[in-house]
Amino acid sequence: MTQAIGRRTFLKAGACAGLALAVGPGLALPAAEGGARGSRVGVGIGEDHGRAALKAIGLAGGIKRFVPKGAKVALLPNVQSRHPGSFTKPEILRAVIRLCRKAGAAEVNALSWQPLKQWEDTGLKAILDAEGAGLRLFERNEALFKPVAVPNGVQVKEVRLLAALFEHSVLINMPIAKDHAGNKFTGSMKNLMGLNSPASNRTFHKPNWQTDPADTAFLDQSIVDLNKSFKPALNVVDVTEILVSNGPFGPGQLMRPNRVVAGTDRVAIDAYCATQWGLKPGDIAQIKKGSEQGLGIMDLDRVNVVEEDI
Amino acid sequence: MKKALVPVGLGALALWLAVVAGPPAARPAQDSLKAFLPADGAVAGWSQDGQPQEFAGEDLYTYIDGGAEIYQEYGFRRVVVQDYKNGAGKSVSLEIFEMASPEAAYGIFTFKRSGRGRIVGLGSEGELEDYYLNFWKGPYLVTLTGFDGAAETLGGLQAVGAAVEAKIADTAPPPALVRTLPVEGLDANGLKYLKGPLGLSNVYSFYTGEGLRFAAALKAGYADGSSLIVLDYGTDEARAKAWPELRAGLEASGKFKPLAGRTGEEPVYQDPKGRFVAFRPSASRLLVAIAASAPAALNRTH
Repeated sequence: MTQAIGRRTFLKAGACAGLALAVGPGLALPAAEGGARGSRVGVGIGEDHGRAALKAIGLAGGIKRFVPKGAKVALLPNVQSRHPGSFTKPEILRAVIRLCRKAGAAEVNALSWQPLKQWEDTGLKAILDAEGAGLRLFERNEALFKPVAVPNGVQVKEVRLLAALFEHSVLINMPIAKDHAGNKFTGSMKNLMGLNSPASNRTFHKPNWQTDPADTAFLDQSIVDLNKSFKPALNVVDVTEILVSNGPFGPGQLMRPNRVVAGTDRVAIDAYCATQWGLKPGDIAQIKKGSEQGLGIMDLDRVNVVEEDI
Repeated sequence: MKKALVPVGLGALALWLAVVAGPPAARPAQDSLKAFLPADGAVAGWSQDGQPQEFAGEDLYTYIDGGAEIYQEYGFRRVVVQDYKNGAGKSVSLEIFEMASPEAAYGIFTFKRSGRGRIVGLGSEGELEDYYLNFWKGPYLVTLTGFDGAAETLGGLQAVGAAVEAKIADTAPPPALVRTLPVEGLDANGLKYLKGPLGLSNVYSFYTGEGLRFAAALKAGYADGSSLIVLDYGTDEARAKAWPELRAGLEASGKFKPLAGRTGEEPVYQDPKGRFVAFRPSASRLLVAIAASAPAALNRTH
C-alpha cells in the first residue's frame, strides 16, 4: 500500500493521533556504544542476499532483541536510483519485513520523501506491496518535519525529522554501503539523512562548500550531529555489491563482497563496511568524528564482529 | 571549362556528403534537451520506456540526492533522462547532461570514467565499462547505463549512444592544460581534470583545505608508477599566494613528513602512505609529483 502524504493530509492525521511525537524506545537518543560488552556486529556472507540478511540479524542478536511484539516499525532503505550498487537490494528488504512480522510487529512501513518512481524503479515498492508493508511517501514540505534538538551538536544544533517517524516505535536503518564523491563513504550514519528534511540537509552543506575546501568538513560533522539526535534500533547494511566509484548515484565500478551487516553501533558497522573495499576507517571523517564524539567504536579490534557463511 | 567544373565538382561533393552523412546535426531547441533523445524507431530494436525527466540547476539535487555536488562543482546546467527497452526486456537508461562549458563536460567525463574500460568512437572521447558508457561532446556529457553486462545490453548502450551523438553538433578540444602534461608514459585514459576540492579529494588528499583554491587541476598517472598533479591557479600571483598556504597546511596537518635536505622552494615530503611527494612551483602552476622514491618524484616534476 502506498500512501502519498501532503501537508493537509498529515495535519488531519496528526490531529487524530494526538501528534504526540514522543521518541519511542526504538528511536532513543544514543547512549555511548560499546560499554563493557563491546559492540557486536553480525555479518552474513553469501550470494543469496535475503538469507545473508537473516544470518546477519541472527548473529547481531536476533530480531526479537530489536523489534518487540506489537511494534510499529519504520524502515529506511536507500532508494538512490536504479543504477547497480546505489540502492538497497529488494531481497534484503523482504527478509527484514518477514523477520519483523515473525517478531510480532503490528505495522511495518517504509518512510521516504523520495519520489515514487525511485521506489518503483528499484523494485523496492514491489517488495513492500508483495509483503503487505506500507510505503508512506511525503512531500518535501517543511510542515511534515519535526524539529529535534541535537544533544552536544558541534555544528548542527537542531535537525528536522519526518514527523511520521515518531508515530513508530522502532526504526530499522537499511543503507547500502558505497562510494560518495563528497564524503568518500556512505553507510549507516549518512543514510539517516533520508529522514531529515531536504531543507535541513541542505544546511549541512555550506553555500560554497563545493568550492571552498574549508567547508567540506562541515558536512561530515553535520552527519555526526544528526546521528546524535536519534538512534535506530537496528542497522542492516547491504554490502553485497559496493559502488566503489561515482557514488552515491553511479553508474560506477562495482565489487561484490556478498555480505549483509547488522548491529546497533553505527560507527562500528560503518568502519567494518569501509574495510570491505580497502578503506581505513580512520580516513573517513564521519567515522572518525563519530568515534571521537562517542557515537560508537571505530577500532574493529574492540568490536565483536561475527562473520558466518550462509 | 575548368573554372566551370570547380563549382560543379564542389556541388557534387556536397551532394555526396549529404547522402552519405544524412542531414546535418542540428543544435536542439534551446528550451529542451529532449531534441537529443532518439525517438522510437531511431535505434533498431530499442524504444522509449516511459516519459523523459528534466532537471535544471539546483533541481539536480532532486534527481541525484546527495550526489549532485560534483556536477555543480564542474558547472552543471541541466539534464534529461530517458529509459529505453528492447523486446527481450533489456533496459538502458540515458542521461544527457548539459554542462556549463566543454571544459566542464570534459572534466566530469574524466571524473566518471575509470580509464580501464574499452575506448569507443563516440563523441570526443568515450569509454564503455562493464555495464555503462560515458562520452563527452561539446558541453554535453552522455551517460548510458545498462543493468547487466550482456552483449545485447552493451550493444544497446552503443546504439542509443550513437544516435544521441549524431544529434550533437558542438565539438571542442580538451582544455589547454591537458596539453602541458609530459606525454611519455602518460596513462591518457586515466587522466582526471578537476575544477575544485571535491574532485581533488577523490584523487588525492592533502589533508588540508589551505591553498587549494585552484582554477583547474589535473591528475595523471604514468607507466613508471608515479603520478603528477598540476594545480593551475590562473595567475602567477595567485599561485605565489596559494603555495605557502598549502605548504603551511600540509605541515600543520601532521600527515606529511618533510624530507631532510629537501626543504627549500621545491620540497619533498612523505605522505601517510609512505609515498614521496615533490612540489615545484612554476609560473601560475604548482606541480606535485607522487612516487615510490624521492628521486622519482623529483624527476616527475621536471
